[in-house]
Amino acid sequence: MSLHPWAWWCWAISIGIAVNATTNPLLLLLIATAVVVVVMLRRSDAPWAKSVRVYLMLALFVIVMRLFFRILLGGAQGETVLFTLPSIPLPDWAAGIQLGGVVTAEAVLTTLYESLRLAVMLLCIGAANALANPRQALRSVPAALYEASTAVVIALSVAPQLIESIQRVRRARRLRGDSTTSLRSMGTIAMPVLADAIERSLSLAAGMESRGFARTSGLPTKGTLPVMLVSSMAATLGVFLLLSTDFWQLSLGLMLLGMLGAGLGLRAAGARLRVTTYRPHPWRSTETLVALSGALVALIVLGLGWIDPNTLSPALLALLDPAALTPSTDPLVWPSVPPVMLFVVALVLAPLPLTRPRPPATVESTRNDTRVRVLRPRTHAEPEPTWR
Amino acid sequence: MTSQQGRISLAVAVAIVVGAVAFAWPLFLRPESGMRPEQAPIVFAFVLPLVLAMVLSEVAGGRMDARQLAMLGVLAAVGTILRPLSAGTAGFELIFFILILAGRVYGAGFGFALGAITLFTSALITSGVGPWLPYQMLSAGFVGLFAGLLPRATGKAEIWLLAGYGMVSAFAYGWVMDFSFWPFGIGSGTPISFDPNIGPLENLHRFVLYNIATSMGWNLGRALTNAALIALVGPSLLRLLRRSARRAEFTAAFDEPAVHDSR
Repeated sequence: MSLHPWAWWCWAISIGIAVNATTNPLLLLLIATAVVVVVMLRRSDAPWAKSVRVYLMLALFVIVMRLFFRILLGGAQGETVLFTLPSIPLPDWAAGIQLGGVVTAEAVLTTLYESLRLAVMLLCIGAANALANPRQALRSVPAALYEASTAVVIALSVAPQLIESIQRVRRARRLRGDSTTSLRSMGTIAMPVLADAIERSLSLAAGMESRGFARTSGLPTKGTLPVMLVSSMAATLGVFLLLSTDFWQLSLGLMLLGMLGAGLGLRAAGARLRVTTYRPHPWRSTETLVALSGALVALIVLGLGWIDPNTLSPALLALLDPAALTPSTDPLVWPSVPPVMLFVVALVLAPLPLTRPRPPATVESTRNDTRVRVLRPRTHAEPEPTWR
Repeated sequence: MTSQQGRISLAVAVAIVVGAVAFAWPLFLRPESGMRPEQAPIVFAFVLPLVLAMVLSEVAGGRMDARQLAMLGVLAAVGTILRPLSAGTAGFELIFFILILAGRVYGAGFGFALGAITLFTSALITSGVGPWLPYQMLSAGFVGLFAGLLPRATGKAEIWLLAGYGMVSAFAYGWVMDFSFWPFGIGSGTPISFDPNIGPLENLHRFVLYNIATSMGWNLGRALTNAALIALVGPSLLRLLRRSARRAEFTAAFDEPAVHDSR
């Protein structure tokens, strides 16, 4: 039984939040390694499970691009000069910008730390994409989005059929002796495929209609729309205040209240429909534990950021060392890893003992299943010749 | 009918306001708030899904019949197939012309739902789910939405109108996406990165420079692709969509000859 997809998302998002609060490159690299290990050992062989490689490339791209611009555009900081590029002045409209100039180790290191943080955050998102089954996540959307999720399911299942339809149209063209591959020929493929898709949607609609779809449609519960509108405006106002003032208690409260209100409004809007799920995915204690391990990572790292190092006793300071979360780049110091960070990395690895690797989906097991075997006609009366 | 229309436009209006705030955060992020520029789009990424859910449940929930829903799903599948084919090759993006033409034929609400659902499905298939997804869904939704609100025109004039809108919307899409994820691309500290200390106008100036330096070519490529595709396939595809819209509405009243403003 695979883990609930939302448990993987909780785990990954919490680690992303924790990563967001530190620039310690050693901690970031340890967390990245731990996340990749969990993905490698716990992913299935489904197509989306290969996405972590794409995210690794994206992370590298972010680091390279930021370093490139940092070196190209200069920005002096610190005095450890690595090398000097010839500088090129720019016209007036590009005021305040110069190309080239002095490149310092402090500036490069600051950029490297920041881009590493973003890269590890991207990696966490990639891990969630690789581990969670998107179709199962889609099955637990609220009932108010029933129609929208039906459209998504239609799109997901029609997409492979469209590829088949493209191949069919191309085969028909070849049989008519038309095998040109110019830009104009794209049109002669695209239009029949689109026409085919639209035909398909009409027959699908007829099928849905005849099975009684959309007969339950009525007006949603009265009053849900104002609730949802007001709460999403409140949430937006909360974020606005959070970003532009220092009243973070008020704005965070407004934001959470708005999100809660919007969630309740969606629930009430969905109450008009009684939607049942086919074989619902249970949320067991394992899921809770995996989600909690991620949340604990976020709590510890955020909590470390809040602690004032002056109030700690020397023993505790050696154990926690809050300053190690954001090592200084000016002056240059070697980043340290206090014991609490190793505990954090261990928590990131917590899904490994909590879950079991997914068995590979072999065809062999289905073929040898006795219930399947008895259904097959018995043609193999004599044993197969060994030389084949 | 009118109250339903009113509800949908109210929900869409709120989405526009929320979207404007979410995309324009670099203009009002102040240093005293203690938030880092990179955190701002992520905080919005928690709020935007709720707004999207609200609008989609208003637009789709209980108002779309089976035919419209099937058309929504199939057109989203077409966009989902086209997006990976075209991604990454200098802004040559193939999904927007479908959003624009479908929004024109089936109306603003349908255009919004198609934009959001196409981007969502394509993210599920290519596993591109992340904090940028709500932003992409919202802005692609707006591309379809405003295509449904364009003024009335027929024949050649309509194709010119749609192709022009295709160019404008391609630039607008690129700009708002770049603006909201600006600190992600370049980080802080360089002369073309976002700096909360220098005020909105100076930041806008920096953004223009950043955008010319990094993504002008992409936006231009996307705009030209849109216009060319609409000019080439537009007339026949519009005919195809309108015919199916007429065929799907066999209960339609006779006083509605133009289909494109029916919803």
